[in-house]
Parts: sequence; C-alpha cells; structure tokens
Amino acid sequence: MKKSLFMSSVGTALAGMFLLGQVAIAADLKIGIMVPTTGSEATAGKDMENAIKLAAEEINKAGGIMGMNIVTMTGDDACDPQQATAAATKLVSAEVAAVVGGYCSGATLPTLKIYGDANVPFVIAASNSTKLIDANQGNAFQINSTGFDQVATAIELFKGQGVEKLAIIHQGDGYSEDLAKLTREKWSGMGKEVVAYEVVNKGEQDHSALATRIRSKAPDAIFWTAYYADGALVIKQLRQAGYRNLIAVGDGSNSPKLLEIGGKATEGVFCFSNPTVDYLPAAKAFHANYKKAFDQEPDAYAPLSYDGMKLLADAIKRAGSTDKDAIIKALAATGSFEGIAGPISFTEQNTLARSNFVTLVAKDGKWILAE
Amino acid sequence: MSLQDILLQQLANGLILGSFYALVALGYTMVYGIIKLLNFAHGDLYMIGAFCGFLVLSLISAVVGDSWAGLLCSMVLSMIAVGLLGVLIQRIAYQPMLAAPRLSILITALAVSMILSNSVMAFTDGEFLAFSTDLGFDGVELGNVFVTYTQIVLVAAAAILMVALYLFVHKTLYGKAMRAISIDKDACRLMGINVNKIIALTFFIGTSLAAAAGIMAGSYYGSIHFFMGFVIGLKAFTAAVIGGIGSIPGAMLGGLLLGLLESYGTQIPFIGTEWKDVFSFGILILLLVFKPTGILGQTEIERM
Repeated sequence: MKKSLFMSSVGTALAGMFLLGQVAIAADLKIGIMVPTTGSEATAGKDMENAIKLAAEEINKAGGIMGMNIVTMTGDDACDPQQATAAATKLVSAEVAAVVGGYCSGATLPTLKIYGDANVPFVIAASNSTKLIDANQGNAFQINSTGFDQVATAIELFKGQGVEKLAIIHQGDGYSEDLAKLTREKWSGMGKEVVAYEVVNKGEQDHSALATRIRSKAPDAIFWTAYYADGALVIKQLRQAGYRNLIAVGDGSNSPKLLEIGGKATEGVFCFSNPTVDYLPAAKAFHANYKKAFDQEPDAYAPLSYDGMKLLADAIKRAGSTDKDAIIKALAATGSFEGIAGPISFTEQNTLARSNFVTLVAKDGKWILAE
Repeated sequence: MSLQDILLQQLANGLILGSFYALVALGYTMVYGIIKLLNFAHGDLYMIGAFCGFLVLSLISAVVGDSWAGLLCSMVLSMIAVGLLGVLIQRIAYQPMLAAPRLSILITALAVSMILSNSVMAFTDGEFLAFSTDLGFDGVELGNVFVTYTQIVLVAAAAILMVALYLFVHKTLYGKAMRAISIDKDACRLMGINVNKIIALTFFIGTSLAAAAGIMAGSYYGSIHFFMGFVIGLKAFTAAVIGGIGSIPGAMLGGLLLGLLESYGTQIPFIGTEWKDVFSFGILILLLVFKPTGILGQTEIERM
C-alpha cells in the first residue's frame, strides 16, 4: 500500500512538472492502472506500470488528450483476487475515467464486476484467460491474445509452408495437451490430415522409437506443443532419425535453452512467442525510451501495456468526450489502431480480433523473427 | 519406409536403448547378488556420473577437445571418481546396516538417493545443462535404416564393458571371490577371503558402470538434469528383475529385452505412444507370473 501511494505521488509530481511547463493546460484526466506492484508477480506488474506511465508521459508531452493532462493512479492487485477487488474499488471511488492493466487472470476476474457495475472502461493488457470473456459486462477489452490463439498462428505457418500431413506431439499435461488437441481439431477441420498424434513421458530421454514411428508416417511438419527441455531431445532425435521437414514448437519451448541443448539439430525450427520487444520491429523507439527512462530492459508485457494506454487515449480522442459510455463505444469501434505490438481491433466479445503471437525461427543458435 | 525397414530401425533403436538399461541394470544386480540390497541410489549414481563427466570434460576439453578423445578421458576419470563415491557410500551408509533387518538398509538406500539428487538440484538450481560434444550426425545408411556412428560406438562401448565384466567375474580370482560371497558370506570368511574388500570392489565396479552409462547418455542425448536418473533407475531395476536379479548375464539380457519391448511397443498399430509403457510393463507382469525368478534367475532355497 505504501508503495502504491508513493508511486501515485511520483505520478502526481511528474504531472505537476508538466503543468508548470505548459501553462495553457487546465484539467486533469485521471487514468487508473491496475497491476501487481507487490507480491510474487511484482516485477511483471511494475514493468507494466512503467510502460503505461511512459505512454502517458508521451501523450502529455504531445499536448495531452483534448487539452487534458493524463494523471495516472495505481491500484496494487498483488496478483490476488481479494487485493484486486480492493484495488478496483479504490480506483472506482477515485473516479478514474478509465483503467489499464490486468496481469494475473485470477486477480483480474473479480474486478470485472466492479468495473462493470461502475461502467468504467477497462483495457486489459496482459490477462488472457478465456474465463474473462464470460465475466465481461461489455466495458472491458482484452488486447492480449488468449493462449490458444497460437493455434491460428501455427496453422497459418503450416499453410504458408505448404504442409499437408501434420504430426503433433505433446506431453500429456493440461497445457500441452490442450494446445495439441485444438491444433488437431482445427487441422482436420480444414480437411487436412494429422498423420501422428503422440505423447512423450516427462523426463524420458530416449525418443528414437517415437522418431522412427513418426518418420514412417512421412509428415510434412511436426508440431511439438510442450516444453523446451524434453523438446530439445525430441527434435535432436527426430533429426538423427533422418527427418528433414519442418519442425515447429509452441511457446512453452520459447527458450534459448532449447537451442543450447538441441545444438545444430534445432537450426531452422519455428517457434511461437508473445509479442516481446526483441521481436517487434515497431517497438524500437519504445525499447530505447523505456531503457532511458527506467534504466532496465522492458519485460514480456511492456509493449502491450504501452499499447493499452495509447489505445485508450486514441479512443477518448475519437469519442470526443470523457463520458464513459462514449469511451466504451469508441473502444469497441476501434478499426485499425496501430500498436507497437501490432494492429488492434476487437471481436464481438471484446477480445483481440487476431492472434498476436509472433513466429520465430532458430538461426545460428538464436531466435529471430521469421519472415 | 516399408514395414521391414521400420522393424529393422526399431531393432536398432531398441538395442541402443537396451544397452543403456543393461549397463545400469548390471550395477543393481551385482549389488543385490552380493549383499541382497536393492540399491535405489543406483539411478542417482548414473546421474552423478553424467554430471561428473560433464565437469571433467569442461575442464580437459581445452587440452584434448570435446570429441571422442576428450569423451574417453572424461569417461575413464569419472568412472574412477564415481566408483570411489560408490565405495564411500557403501562404507558410510550400508556397511553399518548389513546386520540390521533388510528393510532398514532399503530405506537407507532411498535416503542416499534423495541426498544425491537433491544436492545436485541445489548446485544446479534444477536447471537443465547442455552437454554439448562434437560428435556429429554422420552415420551409415543400410537401405532405409539409419544408424549414426555415435550410436554404433556407444553400443560397442557398452558391449566391451559388459564382456570385460563377464570375464572379470568368471576368469579372475576376485571374480571367483565375488561369486563365492554371494553364495555364502560366512563360509568365505572362514576360507580367508577379505569379504569387506570384495564388497567394496563390487560397489566400485557396479557404480562405475552406471557412471559410464550416465556419461554416454549425457553426451548422446545432449542434456543433463538432476532428475535424469529416476526414470532410468526404475527401468534398469525392471530390466534386472526381468533377467533374474543377481544374475549378471540376466541383467544384460533383461536390459536389451526391455529396450526392444519399448521400441516395438511404440510401433503397435492404432494405439499411440501413450501405451508403450503399458505394453512393456504388462509383459513384465506376465513374465513374473509365469517365472517369478526372471529369465536367468535361480530359485533360492531358504533353509529354515
């Protein structure tokens, strides 16, 4: 609590400095930030807060929104449902015009009712559980893809590479099996063939028998949906068994360790990743500004948080007023907002209309953006 | 690939996997044969062997490179080091328990297993380490069946170690003493055999074989981890039981058989790889129902 008070006073002080500099500006526009700034996820939360503040600062420097200066106010949800409810209540009673943030889905979920009842526009930057969709009263907007949107990105890659016969391998845990199942459904739904659908035991080292089985089915592509440690072994042994076609791995394997363990065998492997600054060409300026302002590297959800604030400002401008209904309407009508993490527009359920996963490829032992 | 190619390729896969199982199973069976202890720490000694080999290789690779020469040097050095660790464990943890009930020494073995794996976990933060060597992917192609040179060398190395062990146990005086102790410890003492020394020697050999398998697996698969000994420990124990625990040729046979069962189990039509362990362990149960002593095991006669 102390920390968030400190943060908001820093925010006010910053805004005060701008007020001194720009005499003409009179009114303030209060925007709430809801992220965990204490507890186990504090690092990610503070990173998001930084990015949102950076965006607000840039907007203020450029003249604010319709002559109004953005003042941010942080509510600490501590990645805990109860704390999050308290933080949301605090932001609502402080009469913020809108809220940006949301990191832990579990903490964001109960706040949807509070913001919904108060009809506060809420741009959810990171939380991406599909449960949020049902609890949404129409005022919240998810700008991060749900985890399984990567199925769409994966299928796009396979189609683009002319794949007909696909093999899928998972590890039997909830995450990797769901991803595998969904990919299989989508792929066979398109009238194409899943020639192998296999599972690998966790911690097993020898996958040569599996490699032979898969190779005998002659797939055009193999999709590994589980994690990097076993993934590296599987890929290595597939290559050793003479498999030469495409291999793709899910975001659970998005780690430099996969390339380190797999060595030469992982060269050319495709991987899907959240939009982090390293792989976003449009985020170069943001990357530099962030480093300059906070003297650290932006973390995974910084670009999306930055986009969230910018999107909100854009929507308020388009609405032409700070009326809550008008802002929500403008958000829903977002046509082609170009964020640093890609374009934003919404489905009827207020979720991101496209998958924002980026496709990477392993080259010379490093992940680079695939094209 | 035709069906024949697939079956041949799986034969090669099974033999490679089986030779790892066999090397680890030998340690189980030797220790059981001599002091009737199921050494559950054996899988962890395999893991320690892999880490020790990794450490030695990273120290000496500047001098001898990280190809075959470096690997051979690190293998010999680690086999000695881990072998001595095995003797140390036997002296500290098992020796005082030899007169205690069998259950106590079994639990001691479990404790040793946890101490070993958790120490390595603490040192490595539970991370996977990349065991990178310069062995390459080249190999020979026989029709559609592909075997890399690395695989051939690994199987050959395992075979050489097993043959050497067989000759040692059956052609030397030490080996004769080992076999004698497994039959009757007290009589051996009366015959002037230094029983403790022979038990220590057995631990040394069994543990260094596990270490050899660990280094071979680490360099072949390319990653090492504190938990890597767990699965193979269970499988090797299974292999030892299939072959008849206490019997050295039985452990070799059991290891190869389990490797083959697993690789052919993967290939059963219509059902996926989920069922491969069900298949191989189902056969294990059947085997034990009809021949409880394992393939080469002998029925023990208990005198009342």
